[in-house]
Amino acid sequence: MSNSRPKSSRRTPVSQSCPQDTIKQHSSQDLARLLQSSLFFILFYLYLWLYVDLRLIYHGAGIITNFPVFYKGWSFFVPFLSYPGGPLEYLSAFLSQLFYYSWIGALVVTVQAWLLSACIYYLLKAGNLPRIRWICFILPILLLVLYTRYTYYFATTLALLFTLLVACLYSKMTSSQPVTSSCLLTFLLLSLILYYLAGGAFLLFAVVCAIHELTFRSRWKTSLCYLLSAAVIPYVVGLLVLGVGSIDAYSNLMPFSWKILDYEARRRLVAIVYLLYLLAPVTLLVFGLGRRFGARLHFAKRPTGRKSGKKHPNRISNSPAEVFSWYSCSPKLRFFVNSLLLLAIAGGAGFFCRDENLRTRFKVDYYAYHKMWPELLASAQHNPDNPFIAHAVNRALYHVGRLGYDMFSWPQHPDYLFLSDEKYKWMYWQIFDVFLYLGVVNMAENALTECLEGLGGRPMILQRLALINMVKGNLGSAKIYLGALGKTLFHAEWANNYLDHLKTDPELSGDKYVQHLRSLCLDKDCPIYSLFTEKTLLWLLERNSQNRMAFEYLMARYLLRKHLGKFVQNLERLEDFDYPELPTHYEEAALIYMYQTGEPLGLSRYLPSLQKRQQIEEFSRILTGFGGDKKAASRELSKRFRNTYFFYCMYAPSGSNK
Amino acid sequence: MKAKLHQTRKAKVLYAIIACTLVTVSLLNVGRDRKVTITQYTSIDRPAKIRPDYAGTVVPPNIAPLTFMIEQEGSGYFVKIYSEKGKPIEIFSKTPKIVIPDRAWHRLLDLNRGQQLSLDIFVKSTAVKSSSNAENKRWSRFKTFTIEVANDDIDPFLVYRKIRPGHRTWRDMGIYQRNLNSFDESLVLNNGYFKRGCVNCHAFCGNRAEKMLIGIRSADYGSSALLVEGNKVHKIGTKFGYTSWHPSGQIAVFSVNKVRQIFHSAASEVRDVMDFDSLMAYYLVDSKTVKTTPNLSRKDRLETYPAWSGDGRYLYFCSAPVTWSDKTIVPESYDQIRYDLVRTGYDIDRDQWGPLESVLSAEETGLSILLPRISPDGRWLLFCMCNYGCFPVYQHSSDLYMIDLEAAKQTGQYKYSRLDINSSESESWHSFSSNSRWIVFSSKRGSGVFTRIYIAYVDESGKVHKPIRLPQKDPTHYDSCLWTYSVPELITGPVRATKEKLGRVVRSSERISVKMPITMATPRVGGPPEHQEPWQTERE
Repeated sequence: MSNSRPKSSRRTPVSQSCPQDTIKQHSSQDLARLLQSSLFFILFYLYLWLYVDLRLIYHGAGIITNFPVFYKGWSFFVPFLSYPGGPLEYLSAFLSQLFYYSWIGALVVTVQAWLLSACIYYLLKAGNLPRIRWICFILPILLLVLYTRYTYYFATTLALLFTLLVACLYSKMTSSQPVTSSCLLTFLLLSLILYYLAGGAFLLFAVVCAIHELTFRSRWKTSLCYLLSAAVIPYVVGLLVLGVGSIDAYSNLMPFSWKILDYEARRRLVAIVYLLYLLAPVTLLVFGLGRRFGARLHFAKRPTGRKSGKKHPNRISNSPAEVFSWYSCSPKLRFFVNSLLLLAIAGGAGFFCRDENLRTRFKVDYYAYHKMWPELLASAQHNPDNPFIAHAVNRALYHVGRLGYDMFSWPQHPDYLFLSDEKYKWMYWQIFDVFLYLGVVNMAENALTECLEGLGGRPMILQRLALINMVKGNLGSAKIYLGALGKTLFHAEWANNYLDHLKTDPELSGDKYVQHLRSLCLDKDCPIYSLFTEKTLLWLLERNSQNRMAFEYLMARYLLRKHLGKFVQNLERLEDFDYPELPTHYEEAALIYMYQTGEPLGLSRYLPSLQKRQQIEEFSRILTGFGGDKKAASRELSKRFRNTYFFYCMYAPSGSNK
Repeated sequence: MKAKLHQTRKAKVLYAIIACTLVTVSLLNVGRDRKVTITQYTSIDRPAKIRPDYAGTVVPPNIAPLTFMIEQEGSGYFVKIYSEKGKPIEIFSKTPKIVIPDRAWHRLLDLNRGQQLSLDIFVKSTAVKSSSNAENKRWSRFKTFTIEVANDDIDPFLVYRKIRPGHRTWRDMGIYQRNLNSFDESLVLNNGYFKRGCVNCHAFCGNRAEKMLIGIRSADYGSSALLVEGNKVHKIGTKFGYTSWHPSGQIAVFSVNKVRQIFHSAASEVRDVMDFDSLMAYYLVDSKTVKTTPNLSRKDRLETYPAWSGDGRYLYFCSAPVTWSDKTIVPESYDQIRYDLVRTGYDIDRDQWGPLESVLSAEETGLSILLPRISPDGRWLLFCMCNYGCFPVYQHSSDLYMIDLEAAKQTGQYKYSRLDINSSESESWHSFSSNSRWIVFSSKRGSGVFTRIYIAYVDESGKVHKPIRLPQKDPTHYDSCLWTYSVPELITGPVRATKEKLGRVVRSSERISVKMPITMATPRVGGPPEHQEPWQTERE
């Protein structure tokens, strides 16, 4: 923080005339502040890096819909130059890509937070209000809240930062020559630059400067002039010169822009961003005016010829005041208490604003996309009831070979397997990988192209679309997706490798992964509105009887919907795979079927174990013990059989949670 | 002492300036392509492979420079473009990207209307340098290829829609206009101006921007059609589907479609569209009323894609029988629905419609006949045919066909011919220039997913020549372009109504209220469409 102090303040004649011990005291205070700030921002950084994990925000989980894309090259850059706020949007798009690596992303946000804090401190000092220095930590804390809740307002907060930086610059440039004309000229010049760079965020600059002029220089005419310019400059530069729309001319990059407010997903916690924007002007106005009126009042009350204030310590004689006095006189204690208080507030904000469920959702989605199945299952424990998490858990269980064994250890619902309910019909992001790895590539492609429209050309989407088109043999489209991907920062290598590969092997016959996916692809075409799950899975197995995922999902579907007849009919497909034994839930379902119908299973290789037979008998015995009253027996049964299909089959009515 | 210090500082600044200048100059010099005089070279008896392939094309004399990539490996490239008149254009490049200087290009084309442009391409091999003689020997000259410059200009502006391959979320779509003389593209209207609705098809009266209609669908502001008349913009409070202006500009016929999107579980094209129901109506500009007539709105048929003849005496459109009873589900025989091409006479003075006449039947062609467009001179009828259905852009089988209406008038027979310019992918959304000499169309050639705009010359005999893809300043533009370009329409001057104004009108509550004469597949008059679900917007 001390670095942000203006040179002018260091050169004040007061400090030159101070005695040696006062200078020492000042420097030790500065050191303390520096230490405090450093400590705060180091913890801030570690929190973002290790707890929030900014790569989750980069990933977006289909929840963050305004995370920008960034492509290398002029063709991407040039359009940003054509409208106010464009250059900053470009910069923000670039910096946001660094969230791909959590530690760099956290560094970017920490630097941003530190600069915001420094700007506020500077403005307070310029307004002779350094005593309320604590305010400058509010901005980083608010930023912390935004990131803790996994929102994305980087462009808006970057615009705020630029605005405050330019406001500091204005204050600095006009402090030495506070002549009105010179101030006006400086303001105009900075306004034009800032408006072009930061768009609508310039309005804040005009307001801050107007307040500065009004409260600290008492120039209300200049102040009014600045406020008028806030209306005029966007009109002239934005509308007339750059030809943007009137709404965008005034609101681009502001928290009240339609680009944020028109979308429910984007306006989460927008009130915090309003606070961020309002903090500087409100603080300067309130404390600035307060100081002026306070000073007037003070002068009015003060008897002439007496220097007030010096006698104050002597007047305080009661004990709390003594404590306070002791506190004020002990810099170490002050430093310790202040730091503790600051960290407690920041920690409290982080703690009370956190949303573990939301965080789990982001983590699970990230792990699912990156096929980090064990990590996914570990994270999912925190919020297993969420439909999207439950859906991802089933995928993870399949991939670790545990779907037939453990799926009923997790909350289940018939709709979770394919997110098939009507209310999930726009959830393209969550479903495309299931379609792709099952072999229903057309549905995956459709989901991804909708994601492309809804979330932009994010690398994750382009990568999958390129892959799908290579699998389908649509090499022309694949090359276009790869071409776009080749312009991204962190996925270009993957894209270029494939582009080179396509030159030498257009059929991709040497690519085992593509060949594997091709071997799964559905070949039976029919017009559909949405996925007919059962029919499609059967077609997939017809196409390739070794499609294990199709088989396990088909069986899971039957189990979830309690279609035991169909389940048993398809048990014979087990022979097509190398299951060492009958998976636990299959055993349980088969036993239920046998007990219900009295029909034996036609499987010689896979028979329910003796242990399972004993379990179902025990289950039946407990139920009979309650006179067949399911409700009464539920508590007892859940103690021992909660994770079995026996329990699900008994207690989960179709269409409800386990 | 002070003076010395001052001198030292001054000197430092001076040195710094000199150093900066030197660095800048050398950087600029490194970036420049040095001119080379090629005296010796090896001749290669085939044309160089370039992308896009312009060899044998016919180009408008007022088209922007045709930038291209040379698909030959090399360390240097030299292209010479020349014709009978004018100064040849010579381009040296270290990269295979060939960008042609704008002025020289236009001068050369203008001087050589009706002539051929020749392109000589030299490529320098990547072999190791030795002597200067060997340096020259490293150049290979490919066989010259030619491009024909047409005599007839193309309309200077092209209006099209840019959307993503999937667009159910309405995130970003817009209508743009492109100055064909240059690479300037500007926005006519995008959905950002009205909270992310759908900017639908656009229709111009006689290739003029002074009178146009733009279809809008918005959950917040309702469905409407923007009527642009000179500087005035009005909102008509009903949804216009495919629209065709009468040449007089007094009426516009439009279709009302109840659209359903379906998906193919395994076909190469994922999406498909069918009309569950459709009819046609017409808007009378002066009286601000909507009318229809029984032949345009038969209950037993699906009517769509209206197109006026050049003289305005006939309305051509497509019509298919409704062969299934439940109009809420996709019939099993969805791939048997085929549209006929019919026409009906119209007397604008008396507002009277004539009887229906069959022009070409699906039974005869075995294909579904869609999107008829008639050249402004009234001679050519251009249309699509595909295996089935009503939406050619989602059909690989969709190709362009043409009928000579003048010959048909004389013989009484509508003889159609498939154009040579078709590809294995879908061709659709075609339209004519105001002088009837140029057609523009959307094609999925080369990718199968992304539609791009192509421009082709129609000579006096009706031959359609090899098309060029809409040129871009960066010849690699389409290599990573995730937009689809559709519904290209040529106009003689730019759309003057600003996007601001158009957006304001969409958002305003003021509208021309019209009463629909029939409510079969139509939305409530002045209100939002019957179904607010975005699948209704699946129009590419």
